[in-house]
Amino acid sequence: MPVIDLTGEVNSAAEASLNAAFTEATRNSPGTVLLNFAPVTYMNSTGIALVVALLAQARKARMQLLVCGLSEHYRHIFNITRLADFMNIHEDEASAITAATAPAAES
Amino acid sequence: MNTPSGPSQENPRRDAANWAQPVQKLQVQGMPAEAPNLVDGRRLVGPLQGFGKMWQKTYRVRLEDASVTPPALIETWKANFSSLWPRGNRFYTPLTGIAPGEVALISLAAGPMKLSTGVMVLYADAESFTLMTPQGHMFAGWITFSAFDAPKEGASQEGEGAEAACCVAQVQVLMRAQDPLSEIGLALGGHKAEDRFWSSTLRALAARFDSEAEPEIQIACVDPRRRWTEAKNVWHNAGIRSGLYVAGAPLRWLRRSGKRDDAG
Repeated sequence: MPVIDLTGEVNSAAEASLNAAFTEATRNSPGTVLLNFAPVTYMNSTGIALVVALLAQARKARMQLLVCGLSEHYRHIFNITRLADFMNIHEDEASAITAATAPAAES
Repeated sequence: MNTPSGPSQENPRRDAANWAQPVQKLQVQGMPAEAPNLVDGRRLVGPLQGFGKMWQKTYRVRLEDASVTPPALIETWKANFSSLWPRGNRFYTPLTGIAPGEVALISLAAGPMKLSTGVMVLYADAESFTLMTPQGHMFAGWITFSAFDAPKEGASQEGEGAEAACCVAQVQVLMRAQDPLSEIGLALGGHKAEDRFWSSTLRALAARFDSEAEPEIQIACVDPRRRWTEAKNVWHNAGIRSGLYVAGAPLRWLRRSGKRDDAG
């Protein structure tokens, strides 16, 4: 499963690199892509909009987008923006990978 | 790319104060009596919760001749938010202004009728702020207002310092119609009306800085699929609710008169 580590600031300046990373990660049409937010130090509303755009792209390509490494603060943001309704959130990469490779157990 | 990692909790987040606190349902406070409040008790809905195609619409105006910094522009925009809207539309700014978590009421001119809705300030910092829509709004989404420096048209990349840059004001809407009726309304002129609305707002903002710059518009369809499971959102449709609210005005007047008579 490809993992995209989001590092530093997620704002409008991150758009090109995030889209490039997503294109690279989905080159071989994986069923699932993981976004790791643990290294994120700052995110504004434009950053959240970038995540929504990735989610829309993933849904269009019938891929699942997982999220891990959210601090409590970013979990709040995912709740208030209601992104949490659409994305499976995991504590860390290990638990996300376990969940993704054991779909029968989850469903 | 695959190093194990968990959430980092050690530092207080720099952006924490810029975001609204999570809310289950909206509560409107401190609004004038004439502001129609059809927002109390509604849930917030983002661009993922709506019904129609998802659009990203970007409206920009470049203030080539104005000497204003992005923070100063955003300060002016926040302070004059309502007065920059096209005539006939009203934004009831919260008492504390445009700050994270504040709820504002909105009365929009929609042809011969008024549409009553509202928004919550999802995010606000010195260079941007974002409004999020509640259930019933014509679309589910976020509207982000921002300002940033960009090279002046024709300026070389090597730059001549601050003189080579100009301030750009931007409105970016990430949205999808909340229900099938709104989707039809957007297709039958709603999108164009929205384009005119934000272009007019940006023109008015530019005029505050003695600029006659014309806004540019970029529109991209982010997700062309409709989400039929959300067709039920029509129950909260602001157009229908606003119509019922107006139709119920005589009843509310009679009820208030009756209460006054009883008290007298």
